[in-house]
Amino acid sequence: MGRWVRDYPLMLKWQMLSNTPMLVLMFIVEALIAVGYVIGFGYIIPNITTQSAMYLITGAPVLILLMVGLVLVPQVVAMARKEGTFEYLWSLPVPRSCFMAADATVWTAITLPGVILALVVGSWHYHFALHVSPMVVPTFLLVTLTGIFIGYAVAHSVPKPEIAGVISQVLVFVILIFSPIYYPIEQLPNWLASIHRVLPFYYMANLMRGYLTGKTPASVGLAFAVVGAWCAAALIVAFVAIRRRG
Amino acid sequence: MLLEIEHISKVYRKGCVANDDVSLSVREGEVFGLLGPNGAGKTTLVNQIIGLLKPTSGTIRIDGVDVVEDPDFARQACSFQAQVQVPITGLTILNAIELAGRVRGGKKDEVKARAQELIDALDIGEWAKKHGETLSGGVRRLVSFCMAAVVPGRIVILDEPTNDIDPLRRRLLWQEVASLKKAGSSVLLITHSILEAEKAVDRLAMIDLGKVLGTGTPASFKEHDAGYMRLELVIEPMAQKPQPPEFLSKTVDLGSRLISSVAEKDIDRAMAWASEMKDAGIAEEFSLSPATLADAYIRMIGRADALNNDGEAGV
Repeated sequence: MGRWVRDYPLMLKWQMLSNTPMLVLMFIVEALIAVGYVIGFGYIIPNITTQSAMYLITGAPVLILLMVGLVLVPQVVAMARKEGTFEYLWSLPVPRSCFMAADATVWTAITLPGVILALVVGSWHYHFALHVSPMVVPTFLLVTLTGIFIGYAVAHSVPKPEIAGVISQVLVFVILIFSPIYYPIEQLPNWLASIHRVLPFYYMANLMRGYLTGKTPASVGLAFAVVGAWCAAALIVAFVAIRRRG
Repeated sequence: MLLEIEHISKVYRKGCVANDDVSLSVREGEVFGLLGPNGAGKTTLVNQIIGLLKPTSGTIRIDGVDVVEDPDFARQACSFQAQVQVPITGLTILNAIELAGRVRGGKKDEVKARAQELIDALDIGEWAKKHGETLSGGVRRLVSFCMAAVVPGRIVILDEPTNDIDPLRRRLLWQEVASLKKAGSSVLLITHSILEAEKAVDRLAMIDLGKVLGTGTPASFKEHDAGYMRLELVIEPMAQKPQPPEFLSKTVDLGSRLISSVAEKDIDRAMAWASEMKDAGIAEEFSLSPATLADAYIRMIGRADALNNDGEAGV
């Protein structure tokens, strides 16, 4: 444990500095996605009501967090695997869990500005007020870490790094179109709705939306339990994958 | 023995045998070289020592500790310069070396001083504050060496440390390798530069197709060539390669060069023949020198393609 405490700040510094060249670009891309996203809703639904706009905008944080965790993380990890980066990093006398924690911290920090920007611009553009509960903080962390750990698990478990990129593309499509993040789960066919009652995305959106609009999310205990279970399972798979020796 | 490798075999999932019953040992405070051509299994062996790969069978001990069972111990005991470039994008040379030193348990002030010492010793001070992504491959390789040497492990593993490095700084790097040994570390060196290895190592193992072909000092490898010299002919571009006369043996064709073994009693005849080749415009130049480790290497590996056109072992 002493080693972990000593090494975490060092690995965090290493990861922060390593990502510095990408950070500015990432912030700009995130800002553009967030703003473009918000404005784009107005084109998809021309006479959008404030209520609908609020529903859509409060779904945006989950989508942005999942995009980072399930798309960017696997792609960056896959690239690093191809370049042999982990061959060096994992030869260091640093617990791999410590490296993963430092990496997750950096990714979490990277997602935050985009999420805040989407909410601020969205509420301003569509004239509604958010009622943010302090519970949004643990929800944000849980959603972000679940996405990152799933991304890690995928990127480190697949035998060839290139496959991680393909999987992440499929995940984007499924999450964007077929997940009840932007629309109520009742609009899905029964079989797909049943699947989403096991997957974490619907519950993530419910929790985030509830805590951003001042309402207690529906089935809050179940929602935290399902998302928490996915987070824990992904963490275990990711941890096993990074400790595995070929 | 500090590092003991006993009967290590590594067979990958698709049946590819990377190491086949490899046994060797490295003593405290020695520089031990691992020489072999492409795909010989050198890097696979190193990756098993530091716990990146798990052997199919066999044991590896560092200071008596079974590191197949306890890879964390190996990572504490070994500092490692990987063959791949070190991930230092976004970090300055100074950041990278200091962070590596701190991660290896060095104290802040001591690491800072040692990092500066290495930067000065390898003459890379002009890039000290440049970021990794702006550096040339050679400078990155030197930084990678510094990261392994800043707080050296009891065993410092260097996988192809001189790739891409200019001749002047190569020499500086070999001096630092000698300093590591002097300071008490053992160095496990994987290199394709036989000439450099010959000067740097105390003992070495030749490895090919996953097997150790022999272990010993550079001098012991060359004993077999006692009484023989090496004749090297550089062939003129476009000239037809000559058929070596019968008193030249073990001739190896390296494209633009022919290297042959010549018994001491035949030296006069060999020199006369080489002069004849030069006068005829077939040879650009020729030289006669004592047999080198490269000759022993070719004999043991048993094929000329193990040597590239610069007379170096394949990577």
